[in-house]
Amino acid sequence: MIQVDKKNQSLRVDFSKRSLQKLGRKISKVLPYLLVLGLIAISIWNFIYYANNGLGLAYNDARSHLDIGRRVVEGLKPGLAQLGSVWLPLPHVLMIPTIWNDFMWHSGLSGALPSMISFVVTAMVIYKLLGHFGVGLFGRIFGVVVFITNLNILYLQSTAMTELLLLATMTLGVYELIIWHKNDQLVHLVRSSFWIMLSTLVRYDGWFLFFWAAMLVFFKGFKGGKFKMGEGLFIFFCTLGGLGIILWLLWNAVIFGDPLYFAFGPFSAHAQQTQLDDAGVLQTKYNLPLSMLMYWYAMAYNSVLFTVVLGILGAIALFYDKTIKTPVKIAATALLAPFVFNIIALYLGHSVLFIQGISGNTWFNVRYGVMMMPSFAVFAGYLVHKFKPLRFVFVGLFVFVTIFHLGNKDAVTIDDGRVGSSQKNVDEVSTWLRENAGDEEGFVLISAASHDAIIFSSRLPMKKYIHEGTGEYWESATIAPDRWAKWIVMRTNDTNDLTFREVSKTDALWKYNLVQSFPFADIYELKEEFKPDAETKATIIQR
Amino acid sequence: MIKILQHIALFVFTLGILALALRGLPGTVTHENMNDHYWTENGPFELSPERGRFALVYSVLEDKSYTFALPIARFAAPDVGYYDGEYVSLFAPGVSFLALPGYVIGKMFGSAQVGSFAVISLFALLNLFLVRGIALKLGASKTASTIGGLLFLFASPAFAYGVTLYQHHISTALLLTGFYALVASKKSLLALIPVWFVCALSIPVDYPNAFFLAPIGIAALGRILWKEETVQKVSLHVKPQAILTFAGAIIPIVFFMWFNHQAYGNALQLAGTVQQVKQIDENGDPVQNFTAERSETSQNATTVTFFDPRSLVHGLFTLTISADRGIVTFAPVLLIGLFALPHIYKKHPETTALMLAIIGINLLLYGMWGDPYGGWAFGSRYLLPTYAMLSIMLAVLLTGNRNKIIHGLLLILAVYSLSINTLGAVTSSQNPPKTEAIPLGDITGRIEKYSYDRNWQFLTNQGSKSFIFNTVGKQYVTPVQYYYLVVGMVLVGFLSQYGSLVAQNFSLFDSQQARLSKSQVSKSITRFKNRTKVKLQQKITKAGKKS
Repeated sequence: MIQVDKKNQSLRVDFSKRSLQKLGRKISKVLPYLLVLGLIAISIWNFIYYANNGLGLAYNDARSHLDIGRRVVEGLKPGLAQLGSVWLPLPHVLMIPTIWNDFMWHSGLSGALPSMISFVVTAMVIYKLLGHFGVGLFGRIFGVVVFITNLNILYLQSTAMTELLLLATMTLGVYELIIWHKNDQLVHLVRSSFWIMLSTLVRYDGWFLFFWAAMLVFFKGFKGGKFKMGEGLFIFFCTLGGLGIILWLLWNAVIFGDPLYFAFGPFSAHAQQTQLDDAGVLQTKYNLPLSMLMYWYAMAYNSVLFTVVLGILGAIALFYDKTIKTPVKIAATALLAPFVFNIIALYLGHSVLFIQGISGNTWFNVRYGVMMMPSFAVFAGYLVHKFKPLRFVFVGLFVFVTIFHLGNKDAVTIDDGRVGSSQKNVDEVSTWLRENAGDEEGFVLISAASHDAIIFSSRLPMKKYIHEGTGEYWESATIAPDRWAKWIVMRTNDTNDLTFREVSKTDALWKYNLVQSFPFADIYELKEEFKPDAETKATIIQR
Repeated sequence: MIKILQHIALFVFTLGILALALRGLPGTVTHENMNDHYWTENGPFELSPERGRFALVYSVLEDKSYTFALPIARFAAPDVGYYDGEYVSLFAPGVSFLALPGYVIGKMFGSAQVGSFAVISLFALLNLFLVRGIALKLGASKTASTIGGLLFLFASPAFAYGVTLYQHHISTALLLTGFYALVASKKSLLALIPVWFVCALSIPVDYPNAFFLAPIGIAALGRILWKEETVQKVSLHVKPQAILTFAGAIIPIVFFMWFNHQAYGNALQLAGTVQQVKQIDENGDPVQNFTAERSETSQNATTVTFFDPRSLVHGLFTLTISADRGIVTFAPVLLIGLFALPHIYKKHPETTALMLAIIGINLLLYGMWGDPYGGWAFGSRYLLPTYAMLSIMLAVLLTGNRNKIIHGLLLILAVYSLSINTLGAVTSSQNPPKTEAIPLGDITGRIEKYSYDRNWQFLTNQGSKSFIFNTVGKQYVTPVQYYYLVVGMVLVGFLSQYGSLVAQNFSLFDSQQARLSKSQVSKSITRFKNRTKVKLQQKITKAGKKS
């Protein structure tokens, strides 16, 4: 009812606080469902957008992830062993139910689906976590908006990359850990250890979080000198939380004969970093200021600098807030784990990050900077809650920057995938294979470690390829290539290419014609006179 | 009476300093000589922003035309437009129109150029008083407010841009006027009339002002539509009669549309959207290769890509801590004002929000801009609104402040900031950004400086661009001596005010301070008593345990 307010010389509409509170409660009940629906719609829309403009599979790694999942269900030697040791297995395991379908494989949807679900889950965890910090509806929604309007998040959730799955599992783990610190209910500690265990099976960032969380659990129990309590809780947490790590070590021991094969094997990140170190481009190794600077830039480019500023201010506000209990604050330090991990990894030379302008004119792995995004969203939500009179300034400036951020369609992760070291234009090789080898029977000998992107882009069935994961086919084909392979794809004279390394030991290459030479690989085709003797059927019965 | 005298003294002092630094040369600018190096590279029209705006002033008054004759077009290039076969201005017209009276008066005294430039100095002077006035409204003392105003104008690059024909002081004056109207009158609707007026006028002065004055506009809307909360209810208020206050915006809007119609034949055509000519050939035709037809798509690309949040990483570094433009290098004294934020926030949360919004938009917009350097410039010319806000905060901080560390820091940084900004004002704004200076050095074969050290080099090698120095001063003093003279006067002016502030803040004879001291003494006595009690009790307990 509109009334005339003589005192203020205005028209006035009154709402009773009780009815507003009632309405607020109703909205609070319905809002999570509406949010989930909205998030799903945003997720699907973005997947379609990036799938249609061809950027969805810009990262070579995305194609490799899809191929790994596919090899588990299809190929010359399908099976769980195809999960390999290069990457942790959970993202590929999650693809298994859908990757058998050619559309799901080639569109990338099989790999993007876990990322999309993770996107929705992470946003909702931010919403819920802010609620546990006592943040009102406005701050909670703002936290979610900060997360879901980040173009790098939107892009990565549309691809078959592992970042979003890691973010979801880590954020869930931290969320449950904070609740446990708040209410001491063990069920939350169990849940926390479960989610953190899953994160340890996605990326090694999860391992660091596991150790961080385990320390926090120990100290919570140990508080007041109760060592036994600390010890008990630590073991309790580690039993489930560390299961993934133990299983991964076991897996490596069983399949590759060395529990640390993933860490020091020929395809490990360590091997890659050693090569970079030898080439003198691992600048961050044992250089702490540069490691910090590099990760700072990666964060600023991924999260947008203004969001980083909001996040830092929010973190300060949270850690200085006397109304939040100290144990909760201590648990909230787990939100900073990705920041610490990445700097340590860069410093120790276990990780590599190239930032354009600092490391020459290229990007590499800059997407690692996105790992702090959920934390920044939580802190930013907290900030606008804490400083109510300034809330519209923070929100207004955020909207101002975000309009340009979204309007520019400028995601550094897309550059990372498109123009950086993460991509190779393999279209020429894969198109040649599709057009010339697609309709003809026979196998292609290729190293998946070097050329997975070619395998994916060729759109040929996985069983067309003999690669290092095909057991006896590989062994036979690298001893007598002409017996098995009608085509060989390799980088001639590059001993990092396993196919070249093995084939060059034989004297069979004269039986092939070099039919095409591309920047990333050469294609050899068996001479016509030897083709009738080449096997075209999968005749080996694998042990 | 004393109050009026104080105002007059401040007015005269500021005007005097600005006059000493005001850039100019004796003589009259004509069609024939305006493209000579005397006026351009070596003179007051060293960069295209001054030339482009003066070109319109000259054309309107001398040629009675809104389009440019060929010599004027050459003078304004590369920032000249081409529309319907005529050369036109690429800049928003506000600055040029506001400079018209200065040109006319200057011409009467034989120097139209100096008259035009002096208009900006008057706006700079106005800004000093506006900073002072706002600080007073926020509870700062008179002396601290004056110091805030002086430091804004003379201890930041605002000084260098107060003595030449740039838009920044006019934009800042409009912003501060709107700000002052809001803080001076908390409830009156009449205060909204000047707010809408300055908001509307700011756009023909400089298009980015639409962003900078947005916080002022939004705060003004809060006077028309607001929420009130009591224990039992929440009320939404609206003042429909406030719609009449929007009449304040009519005159600037009408002026802007009239100019666009006169110059471009379309009331809605903006200056920056016409075809740009970067070079004119010998026949007076635009060089086609350099003519960028701004198609719809390229325009979209410009609008979107010109403000890129990814540039923030580099842009904010440039604006804040870089050696070529950063506030840390050019106006570090103003940063002390940030310490006042908690205090202002407690007392005036809404005003704090407004100040942070202005600083935020200022930093973010130019941080996202592809050229955060502002081309060749002295310090960051874009940050005048931020300098003003920090100066206001500084005035509040200094009021009653007895922290010796803050005072020590302020004194050192103020002397530094005043000295380097005076150097910039009396010399030149032609400082390349570091990214250009280094490759330029490869061409020239010498180290090209890019910070205020370049201005010292200019002073010692080429002299000063001050009008007074070039007409009178150089007969008596060297450029370096002239600089020392100006900076000496600035320092004397500042130190006299600062001395007065220190006397106020640290005076033992002040009754209020004396009262404070008494209460502090009584508190100390109580604390001492309590501590002694506790110690005694502890001793007794220990003795009891031993026994």
